Amino acid sequence: MAAELSAQPATDIACSIRNLTVAYRVERRDYPAVKDVDLDIPSGEVTAVIGESGSGKTTLAMAMLNAVQPPGRIVAGSVVYATTGDVLQMSGKRLRRLRGNAVSMVFQTSQNSLNPLKRIGSQVMDLARSHGHNPRATLCEAKDLCGRMSLDADRVLTSYQHELSGGMRQRVGIMLALVLQPDVVLLDEPTTALDVLSQSEVLQILRDLQRERRFTALLITHDMGVVAELADRVAVMYAGRIVERGRTPDVLTHPQHPYTRALIQSIPRLTGDLSQAVPLPGLPPSLTTIPVKGCVFRERCAFRMPVCDTEQPPLESVGPDHDAACYLHGLLDDRAD
Amino acid sequence: MNTIVSEEPQALSTYPSAPRRRPSAWMVAWDVLRRRPTGILGLVILLFFIGMATVGPLFYPAELPTDPLHTFAAPSAAHPLGTDFEGTDVLALIVTGSRYVLLSAFLAGFFTALFGTVSGLISGYYLGVPDSIITKLADFVLTIPSFPLLVVLSTVWKFGSPLSMGLVLGIIGWGALARAIRSQVLTLRERTFVEAARGLGFSSVHIIVKEIFPNITSYVAMKFLLAVTGAIYAAVALFFLGVLPFAANNWGVMLQFAFTQAGAMYTTQSLLYLLAPLASILLVTLGVVLFLDALDEMLNPRLRKG
Amino acid sequence: MRGFLVRLARRLLGAVVMIWAVATFTFFLIRLIPGNPVQAEMDTLMQQGLTSEQAAARVAGMYNFYPHDPLPIQYLHYLGQLAHFDLGQSISYSGVPVAHIIASAAPYTLGLVITGIILTFIFGVIGGVFAAIYRNSWVGSSVTVLGSVLHGIPQFMVALLLAYLLATTHPIFPFGAPYDAAISPGLTWTFLSNLGLHAVLPIAAFIISGFGFWALAMKSSVVTTLGDDFILASELRGIKPSIRFRYIARNAFLPLFTYLAIAIGYTFGGAIFIEQIFDYPGLGLLQLNSINVHDYPLMQAAFLMITVAVILSNLIAEMLYTVIDPRIRTAR
Repeated sequence: MAAELSAQPATDIACSIRNLTVAYRVERRDYPAVKDVDLDIPSGEVTAVIGESGSGKTTLAMAMLNAVQPPGRIVAGSVVYATTGDVLQMSGKRLRRLRGNAVSMVFQTSQNSLNPLKRIGSQVMDLARSHGHNPRATLCEAKDLCGRMSLDADRVLTSYQHELSGGMRQRVGIMLALVLQPDVVLLDEPTTALDVLSQSEVLQILRDLQRERRFTALLITHDMGVVAELADRVAVMYAGRIVERGRTPDVLTHPQHPYTRALIQSIPRLTGDLSQAVPLPGLPPSLTTIPVKGCVFRERCAFRMPVCDTEQPPLESVGPDHDAACYLHGLLDDRAD
Repeated sequence: MNTIVSEEPQALSTYPSAPRRRPSAWMVAWDVLRRRPTGILGLVILLFFIGMATVGPLFYPAELPTDPLHTFAAPSAAHPLGTDFEGTDVLALIVTGSRYVLLSAFLAGFFTALFGTVSGLISGYYLGVPDSIITKLADFVLTIPSFPLLVVLSTVWKFGSPLSMGLVLGIIGWGALARAIRSQVLTLRERTFVEAARGLGFSSVHIIVKEIFPNITSYVAMKFLLAVTGAIYAAVALFFLGVLPFAANNWGVMLQFAFTQAGAMYTTQSLLYLLAPLASILLVTLGVVLFLDALDEMLNPRLRKG
Repeated sequence: MRGFLVRLARRLLGAVVMIWAVATFTFFLIRLIPGNPVQAEMDTLMQQGLTSEQAAARVAGMYNFYPHDPLPIQYLHYLGQLAHFDLGQSISYSGVPVAHIIASAAPYTLGLVITGIILTFIFGVIGGVFAAIYRNSWVGSSVTVLGSVLHGIPQFMVALLLAYLLATTHPIFPFGAPYDAAISPGLTWTFLSNLGLHAVLPIAAFIISGFGFWALAMKSSVVTTLGDDFILASELRGIKPSIRFRYIARNAFLPLFTYLAIAIGYTFGGAIFIEQIFDYPGLGLLQLNSINVHDYPLMQAAFLMITVAVILSNLIAEMLYTVIDPRIRTAR
């Protein structure tokens, strides 16, 4: 049965991921952490990838920089950037030039991403020199960015990382990712390590900066709220596979995959009956317990059918610019209550 | 309500497997030794030398025979390790010399562990004034270089006997252990089981002895073994320097004679005489280190790869 | 700068207290020597015909206190003289101020130890870096094994073997003196090269026995640093290899300074053996020889000087560390 994917609107695609499979070697066997991922990331938009921990999202991000750490390795696929090409085919100097420059990353624990023995400004200049940018000009740009993020630029740039708070360090991480004006920015749970107040601040900064500079962003998160606030598009990952993707309003209001639906339903609202929030029973599979045959989600699915045991359902169109990988073929609303 | 669901979601491969039965200490020990055969080797070496020290000297007369006609003889059936400058069998010298070395090192390790643990426990638990005093004392002892201090002490007290050697080395060496124990106690005393014990009204002494100490026994045991190796060097070194009078033979005395008897240093035939005590010290140390590695893995669950 | 001076002052004060404590310790130690050497000296002098006042004065010159003064007075007199850098007079070198003897011996010890520490550090660190970078190949493993094995051999054994193999049985290197007696000391090339030649084995002994410690410590530090998040982050930010190397090197280097204090104390202590084996007239040999001839003022002073050298070296190492590590430099 040939699955038909939705026709995408004709915006430029900044990054095109095809057939990406990343496996980890555990005790002499390979387990896929990311399997058969196809994803287009349109230019100038924020695309979110949401999933629980262990869903493979960080591995996906690392793969996008061709930086999967052993014991993991890229098994198949391509990650093609419109401006520079397939990063998975790059190595050496070409790869290094791409990282931090054309494609940059904001790490989950940016607080630990800074050299404890060098001042921030010095590290900015190191970054500039590594990519052939003028250090002074880059420092100016850094000052500018710091200001935008309500950081005292002079103070921050002359400080060591231990003199800054966690929230400040996270913002420095963002600044370092944006200072060379990259085409694509990968944000791996940029606010998870922060307290709630800083989280909302940083999210706002990210939204404003993205609207201003129109860089392409891939936002990795486990928080539906963050998706709702920031993302133009969202892809849902479970057990290393994309199970649903589309424009955020569509996916959030009419999810067509039981997992997406369950994620949304499990969020308690501030008002109303708490029992309306329905937690999803069971645990996500660990790397070695992902089912090899059949739909990866079937163990926890309320709508499980015999066909689900046969093969992982392919992604297929369930609406305009909206795909889901489920044998319900987009009829979830009818099945659900 | 949907009717398509045929069965309840099942707990299959998606759920983590049930925890295994916790293995007993002996099983763990055996497991580790199997994976690290060097641990067995270490244990064998240790037992060999302990045996040598305890029963070995019984096979030899109190006064070892000299043989002036065969000084620095090459190894032979009668003298597997050759002879020394007086013609005495080197193997006999090693065996008779082992008792002093191992005994004094064992005692030194014991006293170091004793002083270090007690002071570490007191200073870590009570804090305040006792802590300051003990820490300052430990720092003082740690700063002064040990060997010059030992040499100076030898003028005041000839600590040649195994017991006095053990005591003196314990007094010199307790500092580092005290510090380490102190930091362990500092973390332990904040743990809830200590709080619970305090809440139940147990006395401080009881808490220290019954609650905290059992948690550091493995650490102390390992430090004890390390102290023994250090003490072997120290004892041998002190006798080598010639600052202590000796009643009986020991490896350090052998080295001292080797160095000062003008013949020994200048002839290649005395190589075995020189090497024998050196090699013995190295072997004992090797045994301890190998065994310690395995012991560490046995006692420290985090090192074991499950 | 101000922070530095404040810290320096505090540590200097600590060092002075430490030195005072050691001086007090040796003061009381002398009294515990069996046979009451002070009184014995008095008796010997009086037998030689001096009056008791003259004998007392002579002894006071030696030990820095009057034998029949009450204890507190003796102690204060002793401390007072110490503050003037007067260490008493030698018994064996009749009447010669101990300070002079110490001054002529100290350079030998300091020279050996400081050169030893620096060279051991350099070799060890280089070895450690290799062991870390190539840790998954035979190169790295062999360095690690070599380091572990050498680490287990005590210093004096290495020295003994070196002397035996390379100086006494096979006279490749000279043995038994710091330099050839025939050459007169001075800043000449002949003298300096000869001095160096005689120093090769003793320093080699330090290096061989100390290599393992530094190599293993550096390896562990480099491996830890390589695993640090910011190193991975720098790779993902496309930082140049030369800059990344510096990141790794400086960060791996820093923790090693904390071991420097231990190494200093250990090396000064080990100098006793090296000096004895190679007959190097430094403070260690002085200490040993003075014990044999019961020259207690000399022995006491040699011990004190060795300890002072350790304390001061530790001070320098500590201050160096606070300057190098910005985390400490910027803390109040």
